Amino acid sequence: MVIEMWQSIRLFLPMACRRSFLTLFLVLSFVGVLTASDWSDPARQLARKIAGVTGPGAVSITLENRSSLAKKDFDAVGGLLRIEMESLGLRAVAEEQAAASVHVTFSENPQFYVWVTEIRQGNADPTVAIVSLPRRDEIGVVHDSMPMSLRKIPLWAQESRILDVSVLDDDSAPQHIAVLDGERVAIYRQKNGKWQTEQNLAITHARPWPHDLRGLLIPAKDHLFDVYLPGVFCQTSVSVPLNLNCRESDDPWPLPNAAGAQPLRGFYAASRNFFTGALTPGVGSLTNVGKFYSAVAVPRTHYALWLFAGVDGQVHLADGVSEQSTKLDWGSDLVSVRTGCGVGWQVLATAADATNGDSLRAYEIADRDPAAVSVALDFSGEITALWPDVKYDSAIAVVRERERGEYEAFRVAVVCGE
Amino acid sequence: MKRFVWLWFAASSLALAGQVSTAETRPQYGGTLRIAIREEITSLDPGDSAQSDSVARRNVFGLIFETLVTVDDRGRVHPALATRWQAEPGNQRWQFEIRRGVKFHDGSELTPEVAAAALRASNPAWRVLAQGDFVVVECERADSELPAELALTHNSIARKNNGAKDGVAKISGTGPFRIETWQPGKYLTLAAEENHWRGRAFVDSIDIQMGKNFREQALELEGDKADVVEVAPEQVQRVIMAGQHVSSSQPVELLALVFADEPRNTDDKTIRSALAHSIERRSMRTVLLQGSGVPVASLLPNWMTGYGSAFSTDVELKRAREERTQVHDAPVLTVGYDANDSLARTLVERVALNAQDAGLTLRPLASTNTDLRLMRIPLASPDPWVSLENEAEVLDLAVPQTTGDSVEDLFAAEQALLAKQRVIPLLYLPTDWALSPAVGDWSVGADGSWRLDEVSMGKDRP
Repeated sequence: MVIEMWQSIRLFLPMACRRSFLTLFLVLSFVGVLTASDWSDPARQLARKIAGVTGPGAVSITLENRSSLAKKDFDAVGGLLRIEMESLGLRAVAEEQAAASVHVTFSENPQFYVWVTEIRQGNADPTVAIVSLPRRDEIGVVHDSMPMSLRKIPLWAQESRILDVSVLDDDSAPQHIAVLDGERVAIYRQKNGKWQTEQNLAITHARPWPHDLRGLLIPAKDHLFDVYLPGVFCQTSVSVPLNLNCRESDDPWPLPNAAGAQPLRGFYAASRNFFTGALTPGVGSLTNVGKFYSAVAVPRTHYALWLFAGVDGQVHLADGVSEQSTKLDWGSDLVSVRTGCGVGWQVLATAADATNGDSLRAYEIADRDPAAVSVALDFSGEITALWPDVKYDSAIAVVRERERGEYEAFRVAVVCGE
Repeated sequence: MKRFVWLWFAASSLALAGQVSTAETRPQYGGTLRIAIREEITSLDPGDSAQSDSVARRNVFGLIFETLVTVDDRGRVHPALATRWQAEPGNQRWQFEIRRGVKFHDGSELTPEVAAAALRASNPAWRVLAQGDFVVVECERADSELPAELALTHNSIARKNNGAKDGVAKISGTGPFRIETWQPGKYLTLAAEENHWRGRAFVDSIDIQMGKNFREQALELEGDKADVVEVAPEQVQRVIMAGQHVSSSQPVELLALVFADEPRNTDDKTIRSALAHSIERRSMRTVLLQGSGVPVASLLPNWMTGYGSAFSTDVELKRAREERTQVHDAPVLTVGYDANDSLARTLVERVALNAQDAGLTLRPLASTNTDLRLMRIPLASPDPWVSLENEAEVLDLAVPQTTGDSVEDLFAAEQALLAKQRVIPLLYLPTDWALSPAVGDWSVGADGSWRLDEVSMGKDRP
């Protein structure tokens, strides 16, 4: 329904406004995902169970929230429950006037909301009535107060580890995406507001994958895309129906290059989670920078400055003439994006302290010292992948959600002037 | 002295935290993880029922052995050594397709025949056979929870080589770590299996020292001789206040008073009810456990069911006294505890004091031959049905048959078990671990299970 609403609204918007409005629209839409109608059925069920024990008459009602329900939902459910109880002839009165007291505890287990009602009548042991319903989760909103801000827009979620997501169309509202995991590339198309599987392309590999598996989807000119995985390279067929042909390979992976610098590739260790450090053709004469997790290019007038997030915890900077290593409060994953904000490009970096879920922050690098230009965008889990979007104007972040263990892919965009 | 140890932790951990403040967030390969535990594991046979069940034992076995399936924190079953499974109508006969290309640490291949033999050995009541790529399990009765049961440690797939002279070579698993050295009850060294089917673990090896009490473990951590140690529940708050990194599971171990027999008559039932109503669980938690654990009157913890509030943990002394007066000659009840378990002794003494307030006489004894005893019962699985069935088995009770598997059905089954008055639940305790700053990406499952193939060691220690 959210997608349908967007399709209607976008017709009336100038092209230039669409992207900003889409961001706002999606954020606001998802905030209101849980509506009163979601709770009315279980509220009705519980009211019936209560009425089945007490019969019509005067009851006192107390409600207690021991679940992750937000206050607005707790209030909404409480209101619905009272309405349903009234419709069954139960009148809410003060405890001293009540024939029965009803205490409802809104609780939960890993899969369900569990609403437990204890009904006391006289001195008898309480009667317990239970209603359960599947849990669902809200999408949070990020508040900020810096010159720029980061926005995350959910793209896809699944149980298996997402390695990369590629948006296959030019539309600012994704209609066609490819999702890479360890076993397949799944292509989805948006139809009537719902994602539908268009094709599943299996990935064949002889060796077991290493832990902390990483992979990269790269759109190609003469075919749909290439897939880089540890020790494996896959390529889609040129003709339809689409096939994915995989082979064992130690070919270097293309390193993301938003700066338009000379293309650079890095060799990836087939049984580990890092690049070996060997580069081709190299940054100037530099062909080995030591093991690193990720690399980004930052534009300069006549050259590009490369930043490598090293396995040793340092960030190595190389511009073809000089090299330098520095300790920054950054994590393992970096990506650079080209935007209309600030100096026109920003580096997005994970934070080193990931004890309470990872975060992303935007930086600009005037000389060699990065300056934060946004507040941290928090995620409810660890960031397991961070790659640039196809057009380098946003990033794709994959997060392993802490509580559910599900993987969620987000498009992260830099928003100017806030 | 204890105070000194933990204060020293605070200082040392702050210093080390400073050294790793710019650590990368992706895990690193290499290094040795050193763990100390109290448990003295004397057999590495997962099917050996002579050893008592514990979270620590399960964790050690989970490094070496694997099961056909696993259960996640939400109780959902996932493929492991079996890639898929299905039940025939009636849920009595199940087929599991065995993963191809998996090897035991001795180099032999995992086959349906070997998997079937392992399951037959640990489940004599089942008919287990190999058919093509499948293992077929036929239960005595319909069992919709069979996949989750197969994730239990005693259903690990182990290959036994009875001809081997070396104790290490006698048993082999398919897990992420293989046995390097093994001194029963004392020491176990494991090495990462390079070609594990889920990928090689990050650390090169794991050293496990056994039979270390809490104090010895604290000293091991303090002296940089261990990276991961257990923390006594009553010490957790103090350790956290001292700045140490403590990792805790959900409450996974039930402490309960278990009667030796079913109640013989109405008086017996009334006395048991009076005892249950007299117990002050909340003060046990706040005073004796220093805020650790959760008071419970249910067999399963609230995080797993959501309906824990339906079982009141309030002390009802007036009601207990009234019940006591209904019985003319209340017997003196002996209540047993494990002599090596200081917490159990303290709790039992507190129960005896509470009972005294209600006019009951309980005599604590460090013995198992008593009218009732304090037991520790670890949750068997993140699957609530499997855990309830296991608890019923420990209590020597039959699980009530239900028509469905909803939360409401689970509540009804648990209520029926408690109505038999064989057990008085007291508290649920989590498992708590103190970690050195070198340990990265540590996490435990809701059931206290280690995920050590995901752990990496920081670069500040080789």
